[in-house]
Amino acid sequence: MNRRSFFKLSWGTVGVGALVSALGVSFAAILRFLKPNVFYEPPQAFKIGTPGDFPFGAPTFLVEEKIFIFRDREKGFSAASAVCTHLGCTVAHFQSDQKFHCPCHGSVFGADGAAQHGPAPRALDWFEVTLARDGQLRVDKDKVVPSSYRLMV
Amino acid sequence: MNLFREIWQSIVRRDPLSTDKGKSELVFLNVWLHIHPAKVKKENMKFRHSFYLGFITFFLFLILVTTGIVLMVYYRPFPPQAYQDMKDLEFVVFMGPFLRGMHRWAAHGMVVCVFLHMCRVFYTGSYKKPRQFNWVVGVFLFLLTLGLSFTGYLLPWDQLAYWAITVGSNIGSYAPLVGGQLREWLLGGHSVGEAALVRFYVLHVAVLPAAMILFTIVHFWRVRKDGGLSRPIWKLAPPKAAPLVTIGAPAASAAPLKASAASSTKTYGLMEVVTGKPIFETITPEEEEDTVFSYPYAFVREAVALMVTVTGIMMMSLFFHAPLEELANPAKTPNPAKAPWYFLGLQELVSHSAMLGGVVAPALMVLALLAIPYIDRNPSRRPSDRKWAIWLFTLFVVINLVLIVVGTFFRGPGWALVPPWVHVVGGAE
Repeated sequence: MNRRSFFKLSWGTVGVGALVSALGVSFAAILRFLKPNVFYEPPQAFKIGTPGDFPFGAPTFLVEEKIFIFRDREKGFSAASAVCTHLGCTVAHFQSDQKFHCPCHGSVFGADGAAQHGPAPRALDWFEVTLARDGQLRVDKDKVVPSSYRLMV
Repeated sequence: MNLFREIWQSIVRRDPLSTDKGKSELVFLNVWLHIHPAKVKKENMKFRHSFYLGFITFFLFLILVTTGIVLMVYYRPFPPQAYQDMKDLEFVVFMGPFLRGMHRWAAHGMVVCVFLHMCRVFYTGSYKKPRQFNWVVGVFLFLLTLGLSFTGYLLPWDQLAYWAITVGSNIGSYAPLVGGQLREWLLGGHSVGEAALVRFYVLHVAVLPAAMILFTIVHFWRVRKDGGLSRPIWKLAPPKAAPLVTIGAPAASAAPLKASAASSTKTYGLMEVVTGKPIFETITPEEEEDTVFSYPYAFVREAVALMVTVTGIMMMSLFFHAPLEELANPAKTPNPAKAPWYFLGLQELVSHSAMLGGVVAPALMVLALLAIPYIDRNPSRRPSDRKWAIWLFTLFVVINLVLIVVGTFFRGPGWALVPPWVHVVGGAE
């Protein structure tokens, strides 16, 4: 390699490298720009009311939050996600068989939320229920707990 | 009068169309028409070769752009207003339902025609050398068509739209590694909501149409550069015919071409002389005889195809209303919740396995489609020489159709197998 071709190659590499990295960084910045820093969505942790608001037996479905609140006479409170683990449809709870049924692809979840039938890959989530200082129940969707989790009030 | 004549001639600057020179100049002096060759091969323009599906697809796209721009005027991409604007279009805006209908039916028609066009190109072997790359561009155009349909589906913000997109975007989240990120990035949130609507709107009216136009330009350009419309099957040279004669560069084995004296009535422009063989298809003397001027032969046929397409879509919009369900309700999933019909095959697969059906199978299908011209290296375009290829592709088409038909007509509440002639009363709630 002579002097001329050496400089041609090295300057060429530097030039193309600079161009490619500038474009790469710009596009990466655009991709990052499209990822929101703040989600203007309902909070993941919220209060749902006092324990007395919830009946025993059939679960209460909270529409906005997409959760079922169960209240058992012996065991206490628990909160199940109503979002199917398959493709995100809202499941319904049937009193007849005590199971969750998804309308989209026929997934069935047992009383403990375990996937029993259909394409759902995993069990429904159960969320932590705690008692806030003001006496209201508080559900935190960021805290997934085992299906055996109960809050006794 | 002379002034008008001068103005007109300053615009068109060509000889009268009664002359061959005028017919040629009409094409190559006009920026919009010069995507055509000045002369076309008559047989290649036959309806029973291509069914004009490519033209029809392009015309449907033109209808979509036109009606889409008009609809944009009355549309605000925010959750409650978007649905109110739909209601306005339905009941208040002059010819609103008709325009919305045209946009919808042209969109559905485009999905159908792109697919049929792909089938035609496959069955006539028109993706073979030298057209391999244009097939690949075509597959991308097919995917863009699906992307445009999918993003457009959400915009009415009714129950149908909301849940179809919820199901559709969740299918994407099963993609390995990037899945969850991809979904959040596309929706701008954790579920289909305000942010998702704006994003889908931007994709639908700006990003994807721009990509579509760019790819279409490449597609058309390559049709020309790869030798124009392919030769119909019935015009293919017999299997062991003499080798093709390359005009201007005769093969060593072939008899040398007799050079004809330059005609004094024609002018020739010579751009540059370079060595090497041309990459595009060369034509035989028989094909040369088959050519006619694009004006009026090709233009009349294209105009008829355009008129039939527009009329067909108008008739559809007159007689069939674009559906609009109730306002999107995130709390209540309709039962059954179905994706748009062209994704129901995919939804059917997903109902069996999210990972295999939602990600692996479609990814393999797209890769297989892209790879077809490079896997199928058999140079012959005759159906009798490519039985395997035709069988395999037909199998692919039939599987897709069966899945879509099952997903559309045979799936009832809870995705249970219900034949369309059985009426489910009430359904599972």
